[in-house]
Amino acid sequence: MAELKPLSAFVYLIRNFKRTAPLVGVIMLAVMLVNGIIALVDSIPYSIRTTYGYLQEYLAVTPRGLSSETPHLVEIVSKGCPVPIERVMIIRGSGCVIQSIVGKWPFVVLGMSTEDANYYLKRENTSHLTGRMFVPGAAEAIVSRNVATNLKLKLGSTLLSPDLTDNYSPHAVKVVGIAESDRWFAVDSIEYQRENHFPPIDVALIFAHNRQDQTKLDAWATKRLKGLRTQLFSYAELEKETHTMFQTLFAMLNVVIGLIVGVITLMVAMLINIYQSQRILEFGLLQALGYTKRQLVWRSLREVSAVVLLGYVFGLLLAQATLSVVDYCLMAPKAFALDHFAARALWYTVPVPIVILTAAAMTVWNRFRTFDPVGVVERRLV
Amino acid sequence: MIRAEGATLEYSDHGRPVFACRDIDLHVNEGEFLGILGPSGSGKSSLLYLLSGLKIPTAGDIFFNGENLSSMSDGERSKARLDNFGFVFQQPYLLGYLTAIENALIANPTEQNRSIAQGLLDTLGIGHKSHRMPHELSGGEKQRVCVARALMGSPKVIFADEPTASLDHTNGAAVVSLLNEHRGGGSMVMVTHDESMLWEADRIVRIVDGSFVTPASDPQLH
Repeated sequence: MAELKPLSAFVYLIRNFKRTAPLVGVIMLAVMLVNGIIALVDSIPYSIRTTYGYLQEYLAVTPRGLSSETPHLVEIVSKGCPVPIERVMIIRGSGCVIQSIVGKWPFVVLGMSTEDANYYLKRENTSHLTGRMFVPGAAEAIVSRNVATNLKLKLGSTLLSPDLTDNYSPHAVKVVGIAESDRWFAVDSIEYQRENHFPPIDVALIFAHNRQDQTKLDAWATKRLKGLRTQLFSYAELEKETHTMFQTLFAMLNVVIGLIVGVITLMVAMLINIYQSQRILEFGLLQALGYTKRQLVWRSLREVSAVVLLGYVFGLLLAQATLSVVDYCLMAPKAFALDHFAARALWYTVPVPIVILTAAAMTVWNRFRTFDPVGVVERRLV
Repeated sequence: MIRAEGATLEYSDHGRPVFACRDIDLHVNEGEFLGILGPSGSGKSSLLYLLSGLKIPTAGDIFFNGENLSSMSDGERSKARLDNFGFVFQQPYLLGYLTAIENALIANPTEQNRSIAQGLLDTLGIGHKSHRMPHELSGGEKQRVCVARALMGSPKVIFADEPTASLDHTNGAAVVSLLNEHRGGGSMVMVTHDESMLWEADRIVRIVDGSFVTPASDPQLH
């Protein structure tokens, strides 16, 4: 087996574990903290996109006024539409709530015909239906697996009830089917909704033939219906509103994360400075023997880089482990969305090693700038 | 090989000029063992640092193989030291986290030199402790590791600054003998206040208050 090079960073790190471990630990915790905070905060907009992700499949057009206007609005959108439209559904909607990590969120139970419901389930990625389709006019509903988990519903559970303020319906609406899908949705009978829910507004769901064309259709409809008495619900609009909503929050987080990185950097720089002071004898000896300041600075930087890299990698791994535990224990039981590998959370950690390495390089260089090896070998500095 | 011409090292002590070395002219010949003898504070260590390029004279010049060390950059002087000189200091300075053999290798850390370092440690009588850490070695053993480190790479000149200061007389004498015996064709400059340690020197110069009291040009075989 090849012997280790005595002055390699690896040998120093391994044989001075008691010194390097705290540095690795501090950096690791900093990376974990930044990654964890951002991933958890980012789970809010991520949840919004996930929960209302059903909108990726269609555009919802609601008249603001007479319900009889709906066919006319659909006609305006359909005429000259640049992408083929696969289906237009006329539905009714009633409100309910679901649980989120920041409290209750409004959700809609879509009332549709069984024919439309079959298409809808397929369109919303349903692999199979556990239970059965609702009976037209009956107080029965189908929910997706995520909604069932979130509201702790099973087959036979009550989704809407006269006793529930948030999830109200004049009759107890029972769950008769659970759709195995990654999407969130709840559908019941349009006949039941027309009979029991107010206001009596027909909503049009317009599906593009190709999923990838839905965005074009949404943009086209937005342009065509501008100025008319109508309200549109599209995924693009949801994205835009979510972005605007969280812009300020993330601006504030930038300050908080900046402060955390600043404090950690200061701590690491101080620790490095102390450790460098403790190694004056070593640096003095090596310089006296003939190593240049540049060589010694590079050697120190290689050691610091290895420490920072180890701290960064372990920090990310620890963050993933922590987020997995949080997901398993807190989020998954309620179907809350948490993206472990959120790009934003990873990006926020990138400045941590860079800033620490820069501060460490400045500390090391400053120490070597005025270093006199003779002072060491004469025992004046030790 | 090494030539000092009017080498002076002056520093200021509260505004008062103090001469550690004053107008030194000296020539160290190839293969020669030169002893520099003087009491404590006489400037002998400062002279050694000047000759080895660890310090720059405030006046005069130091030449090594015709190259002026004083006019070299810091990096060039360091390279000259690493390539040509070996050092043994007063204290047996070793890196605490490296084994004896690794310490012997730090100036020439190549895999090929490992067997040479082991051979040197064997010759110096501590080969069986080559994988011990410094804290597991006695003072004399540590200084022998320093001797092995100085001899690695067959340096052209070995500079020894009171190498026996931290050792008893027997161990001290042994270290000097080992250095002299294994320096090959290289020169050796040794600074000491103990004249008995220079019994193997080819020439001795005496220094007091930064100046020679015996002309360096007059060889004094001891």
